[in-house]
Amino acid sequence: MALFLDLTDPTRGETLLTFVRAHWPIWAIVGLGFVGLYTLLPAPRRSAPIWGGLLTAAAILLAGVWLMPRDGAWPESVLFYAFSLLAVAGGILMLSQKNPVHAALAFALVVLSTCGLFLLLAAPFLMAATIIIYAGAIVVTFLFVIMLAQQAGLTSADARAREPFLASLTGFVLLGTLWIVIDRTYNVAPLLRQLDQVAQAASWGEVEQVWGTAPAKGNDKTLPALEPLRRAFPGGPVDVLEPAWSRKDLPALKRSAQALLDYHQEHGHRRGTIAVPGHDAAKRPELPAENVAGLGRSLFTHHLVAVELAGVLLLVATIGAIVIAAGRRGEGLR
Amino acid sequence: MSPVNLESYLLVGAALFVLGMVGFLTRRNMILIFLSAEMMLQGVALNLVAFARYHGDLGGQVLTLFIVTVAACEAAVALALILMLYRRRKSLDVSLWQELREPNLEPVVDDEPLPAPPPPPELPHLPVAGPKPEEQPHETSHV
Amino acid sequence: MFDVCSYLWLIPALPLLGCIATAALGPRWLRGQSHWPCILGAVGACVLSVLTLIAVPQGAVNADGAPVPYLCSYYEWFRAGDVDVSFALRADGLTAVMLVTVTFIGSLIVIYSVGYMHGDPGYPRYFAVVSLFLFSMTGLVLANNFIVLYAFWEGVGLCSYLLIGYWFSRPSAAAAARKAFLVTRLGDIGLFLGILVLWTETNSLDFDVVLGQAHTLSAEILTIACLLLFAGAVGKSAQFPLHVWLPDAMEGPSPVSALIHAATMVTAGVYLVARCMPLFGQAPDAQLVVAVIGGFTALLAALIALTQTDLKRVLAYSTISQLGYMFLALGSGVEHHRLAALAATAAIFHLVTHAFFKALLFLGAGSVMHAMGDVIDMRRFGGLRKLLPVTHWTFLCGAAALAGFPVIFSGFWSKDEILAVTWEASRGGPHAVIYFVLLVTALGTAGLTAFYTFRAYFMTFWGEQRLPEEAGHHPHDAAPVMGVPLMILAAGAVLAGIVLGPTGLFGGFLEHYWSRSELPTRLQAAEAGGHALNVPLMLISAAVALGGIGLAYVLYVRTPALVGTAARMLGGLYGWSRNKFYLDELFEALFVRPFAGLARLCKTLDQYLVDGLVDLIGQVPAFVGYVMRPFQNGLVQFYALLMALGVAGFLLATMLR
Repeated sequence: MALFLDLTDPTRGETLLTFVRAHWPIWAIVGLGFVGLYTLLPAPRRSAPIWGGLLTAAAILLAGVWLMPRDGAWPESVLFYAFSLLAVAGGILMLSQKNPVHAALAFALVVLSTCGLFLLLAAPFLMAATIIIYAGAIVVTFLFVIMLAQQAGLTSADARAREPFLASLTGFVLLGTLWIVIDRTYNVAPLLRQLDQVAQAASWGEVEQVWGTAPAKGNDKTLPALEPLRRAFPGGPVDVLEPAWSRKDLPALKRSAQALLDYHQEHGHRRGTIAVPGHDAAKRPELPAENVAGLGRSLFTHHLVAVELAGVLLLVATIGAIVIAAGRRGEGLR
Repeated sequence: MSPVNLESYLLVGAALFVLGMVGFLTRRNMILIFLSAEMMLQGVALNLVAFARYHGDLGGQVLTLFIVTVAACEAAVALALILMLYRRRKSLDVSLWQELREPNLEPVVDDEPLPAPPPPPELPHLPVAGPKPEEQPHETSHV
Repeated sequence: MFDVCSYLWLIPALPLLGCIATAALGPRWLRGQSHWPCILGAVGACVLSVLTLIAVPQGAVNADGAPVPYLCSYYEWFRAGDVDVSFALRADGLTAVMLVTVTFIGSLIVIYSVGYMHGDPGYPRYFAVVSLFLFSMTGLVLANNFIVLYAFWEGVGLCSYLLIGYWFSRPSAAAAARKAFLVTRLGDIGLFLGILVLWTETNSLDFDVVLGQAHTLSAEILTIACLLLFAGAVGKSAQFPLHVWLPDAMEGPSPVSALIHAATMVTAGVYLVARCMPLFGQAPDAQLVVAVIGGFTALLAALIALTQTDLKRVLAYSTISQLGYMFLALGSGVEHHRLAALAATAAIFHLVTHAFFKALLFLGAGSVMHAMGDVIDMRRFGGLRKLLPVTHWTFLCGAAALAGFPVIFSGFWSKDEILAVTWEASRGGPHAVIYFVLLVTALGTAGLTAFYTFRAYFMTFWGEQRLPEEAGHHPHDAAPVMGVPLMILAAGAVLAGIVLGPTGLFGGFLEHYWSRSELPTRLQAAEAGGHALNVPLMLISAAVALGGIGLAYVLYVRTPALVGTAARMLGGLYGWSRNKFYLDELFEALFVRPFAGLARLCKTLDQYLVDGLVDLIGQVPAFVGYVMRPFQNGLVQFYALLMALGVAGFLLATMLR
């Protein structure tokens, strides 16, 4: 149990309750989506899809608001929101459709909107390839199969879901956790808020409200926010915070916090910029403008073996598909 | 410079992944199961491309390209397998295949009845027009 | 001549080599010729032993004029703390005499076996084990410290086990082998404890050191150590109460009975006590125990032998009886220095002559068995003297020697020495009366010995000729390969006594081993007065022997009808003797049954308690499986759901850390 489930670790520990409370907006949004998704999944006695639809729509909207940049709308962000909305909505639609043909079409919608996101991310070749392979080949082939197989119409199996509650719950927990990981890793806003509070603090008590009580003398307890700050501002003047904090030196601490804020201001780590926090935006390399040429160069220099292997894989898969589909002698091709 | 941050892309990728997973776990049509898996791959691909963009490294896109390749292979093999299974049971329901359970367990069956299908629509009857066609001998197909 | 150490190691090594060669090549390639490695090894060892015997008196002498034993340390076996056990060999008078006896008789018996074992399916195995036995036995007498001695001691026990159970498919042989092994093991525990006592007291395991420090030990420790060592000797040499294994050991082939269970291995106990004479000589209480046990065993075994009808069993009991004589002699070496030396010499002298005539008798019995189609019950044949002349004459020599037929036969001289020693012991000291009783017992036993020996002889070779049907139509006498060893042994049985005994050759050779160098200073020096013959005692013993022979002649040749009358007259005693004084039954009731019950109890505990626990532990996974079984419902998606749940839970747990 002590291997990785040590929930009572006094230094870094978080109980489930504090964990949920610390990130309650995320859990609320995800929970809303969970209820909506659960009501939308196909079942023999399903409530009117309108309720589920409303709930999921609300969850998506709230998530969008949560992610919305505070400093205005750019054309690119509008496009991002549009494609994202389409992708997620398409996914939900695919899950909730009883008719497999409709579900397959919803999947095509997901693929197309993902391709839009690819385009936003400067990957035009991938966009084209994905549209051709997924939407053009795979989905259409599968549609053929569905139509051939289900000439008799809908089957009862399509109107039922296997373990809808447990599956939705699993997805809910997974998505919430993933979101929190992402948020903790890339969202510097809470840290900035903390730094701001410390820099503006009038008394040591205010600091303690933010960062907890300082250690007694001789205790080697470190500043709890030190590790996230180091991660968020690599190369920044983070380490000077620690001695000031353990000495309970308020002016020094305030100076250090302000210095860190200035460092952030100077290096342009606003929320809503593309930079990974801590990386100097000016020094960050850009993708080459010639996407296809760059991809080709990369594929046939760095990944040549992998390309060859992928080719072999394709060949093997083709042969395998033929063999499997043909069946045993006399059984196939009838 | 894109004003949309990495976090948002990652979140969309995660959402697609989780939706695909839920679909994989709940849908019973084998083709939809497969498409759900493809949706999970889409989420991952979105992640990779976003990272490629933000690190300025084409490696992520190359990896996505490989994902597409493997997905194509997967599709081919999966389609063949689904065809084989369909031939055996004349159905795409994956729940028909549960022979690998413990020997003394009862098979899982759907006990909740489906609502009655809606009655077939009343089609208008057209009046007979023209003479009655002659009886033709039944032709057998040679296809 | 060569340096003794340069060839001393070859004496055990040659038989070992023979054993390895026979075992490796025998079953596949040598087959019917498997005896050659064994014979070559035995004869080679015999030649080297004779060389040793010649070299020993020519060795260096110390300040007192006593010869210094050759000590050859070849290799350090192990070292534990300050104990360092080296594989060291020792050559002195005692060792040399034992070596020559063992290897000479061993060679003859091996040659005899070629004829006797001919055509047996286990032919190579037989010779391999016999070679191994010769290796162990020579190593035993050559050992220079107690640990090496103990190792070889167990080695001869193992060979004895293997050879008694040679025909292991016969249940009686397997049981006899097991019995012999377990019973002697009881004594071996005593021996080991004795060695440990000596080691803790003297902090050494070398003979010279331990025996040299004997006078520094307290009397109690010395007595305890001696009694423990004697326990080992009791087991190995089949003394009362551990004698029960030896009669059963006759299940083995006759040459094995001759070699191991008459001539050599069973005398290892005598050798051990003789070797430790400096210890025993200073523990008169232990000596008394040795003498009483020896005398009592001699009488008991002789009484049992009176009524046995199995020829080999008669000989087996007579072996026990004669070994009892030897211990009687060893136990009589009390009171003074000179007597101890005399006693040990007498015991070893009797050991040597006994080895000759008892091997001869067993081989003769084997020859009879061979001719009679493996029938050994004396009631079923008779009057064989015309049919088997060689066997008859040689057997007669052996019987006369065993009976102590006066003047020329060897048993007379060696037995007389023992009687003389006991007589000496009964002349003074605190236990004189007991020793006198023992002397009378020994004289009576001598008469009994003469009687039962010639009873067996007359029953086998005299009377009207009777043959069992197993013998076939033309029972033949021993082939030359069996006859020649018989004749050589017969010559030895006749001459060994008179050549070595009265001439003082043997005594002179051996005595200085005990007389000067090692016997302790606590004993007063012997009064002068050399080895004098005790003529009155000799006359009495001769009369007793002749009386026994005469009685046997009257009962079994002249008027066989008297036998039944005599048996009826003796009544209960006859039945007790016939049934070996019910000792086997007593042991069965006292030890075997309780231990068998204990074993059954343990088995029950094991079956129900231990196995039950193990089964219970085995039930746990089954129960867990029962609980988890519903999850294996065959639905792929359900499995995937569990996997996804696991991943989500794991991720959550990682976040919570």
